[in-house]
Amino acid sequence: MIIIGEKINGFVPKTLEAIRAHDDEYIKYIAKAQADAGATYIDVCAGVEPEIEHETMKWLMDLVQEVTDTPLCIDSPDPQVVVDMIPYANEVGCLNSISLEGNKCDVILPAIAGTEWKVVALTCDDDGIPDDPKVKYEIAKKIMAKVDEYGVDHDNILFDPLVTTLGTNQQSFLNFIEAVELIKADFPDVHFTSGLSNISYGLPYRKAINMQFLSLAMAKGMDSAIMDPTSRDMLAAMFATDALLGNDSYCKNYLKGFRNNLFGPKKD
Amino acid sequence: MAATIEDLAQAVFDGDSRKAKKLSQKLLDAGEAPLDIINQGLMGGMSEVGVQFKAGTMFVPDVMAAAEAMSAGVELVKPLIAHEDIQSLGTVYMCTVKADLHDIGKNLVIMMLEGAGFNVINGGVDVAPEKIVEDVKELHPDIIGMSALLTTTMLHMKDTIELLKEEGLRDQVKVIIGGAPVSQDFADEIAADGYSPDAVSAADLAKSLVGAA
Repeated sequence: MIIIGEKINGFVPKTLEAIRAHDDEYIKYIAKAQADAGATYIDVCAGVEPEIEHETMKWLMDLVQEVTDTPLCIDSPDPQVVVDMIPYANEVGCLNSISLEGNKCDVILPAIAGTEWKVVALTCDDDGIPDDPKVKYEIAKKIMAKVDEYGVDHDNILFDPLVTTLGTNQQSFLNFIEAVELIKADFPDVHFTSGLSNISYGLPYRKAINMQFLSLAMAKGMDSAIMDPTSRDMLAAMFATDALLGNDSYCKNYLKGFRNNLFGPKKD
Repeated sequence: MAATIEDLAQAVFDGDSRKAKKLSQKLLDAGEAPLDIINQGLMGGMSEVGVQFKAGTMFVPDVMAAAEAMSAGVELVKPLIAHEDIQSLGTVYMCTVKADLHDIGKNLVIMMLEGAGFNVINGGVDVAPEKIVEDVKELHPDIIGMSALLTTTMLHMKDTIELLKEEGLRDQVKVIIGGAPVSQDFADEIAADGYSPDAVSAADLAKSLVGAA
């Protein structure tokens, strides 16, 4: 599983507070905690005004890289900011994100062609976030045409078919899965991720929905998640599911996660 | 047993569309005034849902089910009311701002506004300030409601208000805003007429702006 640790994001109120207060220690603390919990990438998104976004991103990236070698996932709604930040990354990581909105593909894809940088690809366009899996799939096909045009390796694409909220559309999980299956049939080498906590928006005890979504989606081929790896319940669901799906020989990862106190009853 | 207005309100509160429709018909058959059926029964039930949602004891799907039940009844009863008697608190134009595609919050606000008795125009997502101004000229809403989920896109709220000023329209329409990064401070800074943190408060805010609260 490719885990993108989601906590350093200015759209998370507590993180934004730390960013506004220039709280170096808090940022370093959540960076380290996510790295220790096994994050593959640590997402960094400033979520601030455009005038100070570059400097804020650089500051955040430096802080994270001070405490861990885990590669970054450079995240901004502005594709130019994403590309501008690449030189400040110590390790090859992931970019977040492309879609058919505006010129995102044409700014980001040429910057990573021929490299090992990965990129999250959202199935939305200038018309919005579609519910219909067939529309998600059509968008994915257009994105893949761009991916091929710029010569980016399919293995470096992490599709996020943008799950909508279960509270407002009870077909949202099924639509997500249908989109995964449609895209996978045409492009077997791409990966699938999800900023999955969106699914439980507006519902109580969100963790239950998030955990079951993770397991069910993994069973259908999702091999990445944008999530909080310091959530012990989410990690337990992830390791257990991976073992159940036959991806974990001798249950090594499950056991290692348990021994390392990443999930289960908390040991001091 | 005779159906009462309270039973109807309860059916809406329970999100039971079939029952809401059935009770609306029964009340009509029993000679209940269509306006009372709508205002006290259907909207009454919805308003209680709003209270509970705000208190954290009801959730988004509860609101949606109740809104659907309310609509099922309204659909049945509304044709029986003379056009001039249909009360509308006013027209609200709702949209998500330019470069922003998030519409869950906006759509919830629309539901609550309709439940409160407003006529709502859904302007959609990714709506540029120029388009909003054009729509205001054409549709004459009493209130514009703008939503944004990104700190980068919320700045278009400011652009919209400035464009409304330039076009001499600012005095004709109230502007309310909402969305995760938006705050009362931001609303004050860009001189919006109001901010609300959730869909139910948005309906209350709209009511107070048209003098109905």
